[in-house]
Amino acid sequence: MNGLWGRVAQVYEWRWVVLPPAVGIAMLAMLVGAVVVAPREAVEGEVQRIFYIHVPSAIAAYLAFFIVFVASIVVLWRRDMRFDVVARAAAGVGVLFTALVLATGAIWGHPIWGTWWAWDARLTSTLILFLIFSGYLLARSLSDVADEQAARYAAVFAIIGFLDIPIINMSVRWWRTLHPQPIVLQLPGDQTLPQSMFAVLMIGMVAILLLALWFIVLRAETERVSARLTELRVALDRRDER
Amino acid sequence: MTGAAAVVRKDLMLLWRHRSGWLSAGTFATMSVLTYSFAFDLVTDDVRPLLPGVLWVTFLFAGIIACSRSFADEVEQGTFDAMLLAPIPRTSLYVGKVVANLVALLSIELAVMVMATILFNTTLLTVELAAIVAVGTAGYVTLTTLLATLGTRVRSREVLLPVLALPLLVPLLIAGVRATGGVLDVPSGDGPWLLLLVVFTIWSAAGSALLFPLVVEQ
Repeated sequence: MNGLWGRVAQVYEWRWVVLPPAVGIAMLAMLVGAVVVAPREAVEGEVQRIFYIHVPSAIAAYLAFFIVFVASIVVLWRRDMRFDVVARAAAGVGVLFTALVLATGAIWGHPIWGTWWAWDARLTSTLILFLIFSGYLLARSLSDVADEQAARYAAVFAIIGFLDIPIINMSVRWWRTLHPQPIVLQLPGDQTLPQSMFAVLMIGMVAILLLALWFIVLRAETERVSARLTELRVALDRRDER
Repeated sequence: MTGAAAVVRKDLMLLWRHRSGWLSAGTFATMSVLTYSFAFDLVTDDVRPLLPGVLWVTFLFAGIIACSRSFADEVEQGTFDAMLLAPIPRTSLYVGKVVANLVALLSIELAVMVMATILFNTTLLTVELAAIVAVGTAGYVTLTTLLATLGTRVRSREVLLPVLALPLLVPLLIAGVRATGGVLDVPSGDGPWLLLLVVFTIWSAAGSALLFPLVVEQ
């Protein structure tokens, strides 16, 4: 466990060197792939290209919320406030990407479905997910950052919120669905997506996931530095008083 | 077990002494049903299909108002810390509050349903509907009571509680409205709504009871 932890810490040391160029290159590759390389979709036309951002963003959002969930469990279990910083950072990034999913979905839905918004199962559950974690962020911004009790409350809320997702999905699916069924997550042999589209989608996946990771690292580091700054200010004030 | 019983008795006593708090939630609930009925009557002749939605939205809002101060008074008075020191399982503190809130909400709902029976000209006081409402109420009260603990640590908790609770309660809202609609002969699609309501209630009660001790740990 300690060896693994040390290895992770070692890799994390390289974040400032590796992540920015990797994110830049991947994002560029995704844009070129989505706009230039991928073929024009026969039925939906150019607007289908938004799918190369839409699908990876949805996956990035779910992963970010999963990170919030795991980090919240660690906060409750280990009482380690470093993971509270991770949870908060991941929640912000998850909300950002959920908003991106909703926005790109609406842009696609307007020409294809003829409406920006519909109370479809997947749209509804994504919106609810967005609301749950926006609520989490609101709760965090209304409480003191250093307040450990508030962090524990928020962790409990994040856990309940994450566990609510399957129930929400189940309930809205019984209710109604209009969203296209997933055509990506199938066995390689049954893949119905043309190879070039699939390749661009995979590049998009890598790019968006790297971007999400980069944002989470940036936010967590910012929070850490700002906490350190507060500590230093307090120490300085104390010295001045003496 | 005697400890838990004592906590429940204490919370029921508090419920009686602080009745102005949840009775105002009840006044709000009956007032909102009255307003809904009045407003919908302006645009449509057949208000009955809207009734399940009106009932459940009113219940949820009343629940949030009634539960929001569950722990606030005791935390402000400092008695909550004393309760935490008592040699009883932490879960019993939560159970006491849930029982008290359930009693308050069920009385409010009874008043709302009597009101709606008159205004919407529909028989609401049936055994079937009472069962649906009771299960649903247990579902949202257990969750809202847990979330009310959050309010003790943040500013402007009156705004925060609905923002946190309502998205989590969406499955309950869907199931409650559809199950109620089924009983009232409003077209409600065929989903296992009552089952969903029961599953949500069990999930919410078990999850909240398990997480509550972690919330109040210091």
